Amino acid sequence: MEKVKVLVVDDEPDFLETIVKRLHRRNINATGVESGKKALELLETETYDVVVLDVLMPGMDGIETLKHMKKRKPFVEVIILTGHASVESGIQGMQHGAFDYVMKPADLDELINKIREAFERKTIHEGRQS
Amino acid sequence: MTATPKVLVVDDEERFRLTLAKLLAVRGLDVTTLGSGQEALEALRQKDFDVIVLDVRMPGMNGIETLAEIKKINPMIEVIILTGHASVDVAVDIMKLGGYDYLLKPCSLEELTDKIDSAFERKLAREPQDRR
Amino acid sequence: MSKRKPKPAATPPHLVLCYAVTVILFLCAVQFVVASAKLLAVGSLVVALLSLMTTRHLLSKVERAQRQQSLLDAQLIQSQKMAAVGEMSSGIAHEINNPLAIIGQEVEWLRHLMGNLNTQGLDGFSECIDSMNEIGKQVERCREITHRLLSFARKMDPLIQRVDINKLIEDMTRLVEREAVQKGVRIIRDYWADLPQVSTDAPLLRQVILNLLNNAVYAIGRDGNITLTTRLAASDALEIAVSDDGCGIPKENLDKIFDPFFTTKPPGEGTGLGLSLCHVIIERLGGYFSVTSEVNKGTTFTIRLPL
Repeated sequence: MEKVKVLVVDDEPDFLETIVKRLHRRNINATGVESGKKALELLETETYDVVVLDVLMPGMDGIETLKHMKKRKPFVEVIILTGHASVESGIQGMQHGAFDYVMKPADLDELINKIREAFERKTIHEGRQS
Repeated sequence: MTATPKVLVVDDEERFRLTLAKLLAVRGLDVTTLGSGQEALEALRQKDFDVIVLDVRMPGMNGIETLAEIKKINPMIEVIILTGHASVDVAVDIMKLGGYDYLLKPCSLEELTDKIDSAFERKLAREPQDRR
Repeated sequence: MSKRKPKPAATPPHLVLCYAVTVILFLCAVQFVVASAKLLAVGSLVVALLSLMTTRHLLSKVERAQRQQSLLDAQLIQSQKMAAVGEMSSGIAHEINNPLAIIGQEVEWLRHLMGNLNTQGLDGFSECIDSMNEIGKQVERCREITHRLLSFARKMDPLIQRVDINKLIEDMTRLVEREAVQKGVRIIRDYWADLPQVSTDAPLLRQVILNLLNNAVYAIGRDGNITLTTRLAASDALEIAVSDDGCGIPKENLDKIFDPFFTTKPPGEGTGLGLSLCHVIIERLGGYFSVTSEVNKGTTFTIRLPL
């Protein structure tokens, strides 16, 4: 589990910083970016196992980012962060290939559990292709 | 004798029937539109139509059922069925029930107006002379 | 790719009996040898050997029959798939023909308007924009159809993990509940306590549950109840039921609802792929997907999954 590399994508800088810090404290290798565009760029150059993605962001919004991610990096599992106001996007996210969702404010234990399950799925998936 | 046919277009897709009505109207046809077989039958009690253009797939009463009912009310009305796929069974049903013909969607406006014209011609030919 | 590998046969009871008899006969032979009853010893040895050979022959026959069965199963699935593809093709054609018909007409109307612009000037301009927008909308509709079709056709090889079903269902319910409550739709949970974990594909199952919940809310419209039940159905299977007290499904539609493209929603809303996808997913997860319904009383979808 410590080997998992997580990318957190959220346009709220405070939330982003907090989540990344808390994940670090639990010994999880996490990086934070503030936009879908930056996330996709980073995914081209660095390997990540699980992406935690805010589904409601300006610019390239969460669902668009999710779609691109699943196209470019189909093995990377995505957990979407959805707020009470963006339930519709949550449902859309599930239909577009998200592994699971977490409602904000995110319960850290729940998030970590889901990250673990997502990472496990990625491992199985990659194992199958080899 | 250049009588203009009174045409009724029945299709559950609103945009389709509204734009079709506009297109037929600029060609000089007298067009009414409705969204269901049920409404069409009710309208027939009030108004006379010469040619009815019916979509085959509609919720509630489908095109074939509506055709059957129309023929019961006024067998002289010519009915053209619009269908999204041509199956032999559907074609046979249409002819058996007295439908004039069917057209495959999407069809060009030319095709449809030609069909309406020939259907109207047949109606005029079949009607007793004194009615016109 | 093959969804159900034949499970190694649990040795059927009558074969166990054969083996038992063989062993007993051998023991008899030994006993006779010890008691120096040579003829009897040889006799029982021979019978024991015959028994052994018969047993092994029966076993290999059973195995061969099972292999043939799974071959037939695979062929049946394949021919069902081909039949489904045929149905799907005419379904697609029909679905796409409607948007195409609209686009064709808008183009005709635009031609007419453009002609008028020459004479009437820019008065007709907003109508031109409206026609163009409609064309864009219909193209979008076609895109949705083809894309959903492609995802339907994509091989969905389930990735198996241990999953807590109650939690999975609860997660999806919370996603839908907010909006449901605003429409007066109550969601009642009846979860089996200590439901064992299931080996299944969680994201695929989430999509199925979401689909069923959305359908239930749609069927109710306003003010009604959805009941979610989970229970242990057998020592090796569990059942999930999504029940609503909405409009129900008429008898003549019941065997069509799992067909791709069958939908009772108005044109442009709902492509009809949802339930057929759910059905395919559940089958690939080794389960059963079924429905009971009564008009104006409600509908229940039941998913049965192996543990």
